[in-house]
Amino acid sequence: MKLKICHLYPDVLNLYGDGGNIICIQQRLLWRGIESEVQRCQIGDRLDLSDCDLVFIGGGQDFEQEVLLPDLQSGKDREILAAIQDGVTVLAICGGYQMLGQYYETYDGIRCDFIGALDLYTIGSHQRMIGNTVYRCSDACGGSILVGFENHSGKTWLGPSVQPLADVMVGYGNNGEDKTEGARFLNVFGSYSHGPLLPKNPVFCDHILSVALEHRFGACNLEPLQDDAETDAHRAMLERLGCKP
Amino acid sequence: MMSFLTKLRVVLAILLCKLLRFASRLLHRGGTAMPGRIALKLCPDLLSRLSKGVRIVTVTGTNGKTTCSRMIEEACLEAGLDYFSNRSGANLLSGITTEFVMNARCSGKMKKHTAVIECDEAAARLVFGQLMPSVIVVTNLFRDQLDRYGEITHTLSNIREGIRSVPEALLCLNADCSLTASLSLDGLPNRICWYGVNELTGFRSAGSALSDASHCIRCKTEYDYDYHTYAHLGGFRCPQCGYRRPIPDYAISKVFQMDERHSDVLMQTPQGVIDLSVNLPAVYNLYNAAAAFTASVSFGISQEICCSALGSFSCGFGRMESFPLAGGTRMILVKNPAGCTQALEYLSQVQNPFVFVFCLNDRSADGTDVSWIWDAGFESLISMSDRIGSLIVSGERAEDMRVRLKYAGFSDQRILVIQNPASLVDHLETLDLPVFILPTYTAMLDLRKVIVHRCGGAEFWE
Repeated sequence: MKLKICHLYPDVLNLYGDGGNIICIQQRLLWRGIESEVQRCQIGDRLDLSDCDLVFIGGGQDFEQEVLLPDLQSGKDREILAAIQDGVTVLAICGGYQMLGQYYETYDGIRCDFIGALDLYTIGSHQRMIGNTVYRCSDACGGSILVGFENHSGKTWLGPSVQPLADVMVGYGNNGEDKTEGARFLNVFGSYSHGPLLPKNPVFCDHILSVALEHRFGACNLEPLQDDAETDAHRAMLERLGCKP
Repeated sequence: MMSFLTKLRVVLAILLCKLLRFASRLLHRGGTAMPGRIALKLCPDLLSRLSKGVRIVTVTGTNGKTTCSRMIEEACLEAGLDYFSNRSGANLLSGITTEFVMNARCSGKMKKHTAVIECDEAAARLVFGQLMPSVIVVTNLFRDQLDRYGEITHTLSNIREGIRSVPEALLCLNADCSLTASLSLDGLPNRICWYGVNELTGFRSAGSALSDASHCIRCKTEYDYDYHTYAHLGGFRCPQCGYRRPIPDYAISKVFQMDERHSDVLMQTPQGVIDLSVNLPAVYNLYNAAAAFTASVSFGISQEICCSALGSFSCGFGRMESFPLAGGTRMILVKNPAGCTQALEYLSQVQNPFVFVFCLNDRSADGTDVSWIWDAGFESLISMSDRIGSLIVSGERAEDMRVRLKYAGFSDQRILVIQNPASLVDHLETLDLPVFILPTYTAMLDLRKVIVHRCGGAEFWE
């Protein structure tokens, strides 16, 4: 059993430890005896997702996101769109999450078209939304509690054809206004949560892995792991933020 | 002629500042920033009044500010200059003002006329114009505490704006850092003295997957590199627009030896080559030494004195600082992925078994976001696994560090969690092995307080 993972723009979209999600995914598979292979796709590389099970896209600084837009539009956007329609599992964080949406409009009204895989758009604001977060996943996303850290100024608004990933308990989430966080569409998971997201949220990590494994191999039963370290760190943050575990 | 009222305001501000500082020392607080902050409320241009007639070298940049400043201080000391500095590490406008006031008479006349001032990179914009330094060192720019500083390019423009207010100052810039070197692209009138490391032939340069500047800051094309020293530092050049590493005036051109304690190198200067011994280990300290050498010479200190200063230098204050605890303890301050990866690289050269301690805090001086630990290459610790006698995580976010080390490949059973600094030192006292502690800034302050209390050493403001 082997899971094929594509890490898109690892050198450019590498903010706030997002690469830790890849470390987490690979280790949790390895501990269960499941092989994985990570293909790092950089600017200028050809993107081929025909054989891919899981795509990961992290967040980047504005300068770096400007660097990759022309590359994205040279064909990678169509490849990602097709993969999503085929049910490939995608985890996208912050800048990567915004990029899957329709467009980004800066605070000054300059509009930048994105991939358009998800029915959502982002408007730049002058408010920096920073801090530790707690979200409650919807049942369709595994129903677990997520802890993380967010740092963004873009406000994302969801259209009717995507579901929020979670409800905001502590923090801002998509826009600081409607209490939604992230987006869920087909097998795509989008989130503003850095931290990185997966290591301290092992239940959510395993949920994503199950989705990817089921899509590839049919039924999938992930054996439980000894998650004391992860659970302790998760609980420590919940306690600090005054949330009951 | 200063009006009587202005004069009165200055004197009152100085008196108040001195009084507040005296009071906070009585209460055993550092009192490094608060007195200056209040004095500035009373007299907003206090610093620029006091800094007149003082020759100043100032050091800014992401990593190495304190070490580089202290190296320059050592050179000033050996050159017999009567200088003062902000040793306490209070490097914002308020802290720097406190330091100037403490070295001023109540009349506003300065007691000393030379200063070595470390300046926070985000404060450079406000501070430089009031300091009017003769020499400005920019050590490097790395991704650091994005929750506080924002994007790297934002920090860069802060420094640039600061420099704009002092066209007379000589700039000592790191030629190997494409971000720092880009300060020369905007037609600043300042004279520039470049320093760098030409190559590390024969010595492993730390491969880090993470680059903070992979693409040209001018045209966004990916850089080509002739060589890397660490992180994004090295012989960069842009294949598209031609922006490239400037040829340094002062360069470490050969590394003869680099061990756990020091490095022997060859330094190329406009006057010829000289042998230089740096009494600190690790590649990043070669850069600190090159920066300090360049700045000190630019400040008028002879090359011989600079060599002697670097050869006998010991930094202290959490930067490779040694304590007589357990089988010998070294503290290596870490603040961001680039610095942390370098500290781990240094550990890989340690031959004998040791105890590894990581203390992670998330107060505002550390950065409230601890996700950077996932950008540092803790995986390299696995190759030292059989030399690591014990693996300890500490600090307010010890649990996060425990998860990080688990995912780096250590068994969770091996990782000891001791959150509290006093209990950590209690535990270390029972051990015989050498200990390496990697703390974040406030974790270092807390831990240092406990260790100094038990083993002796200077208070942080001394």
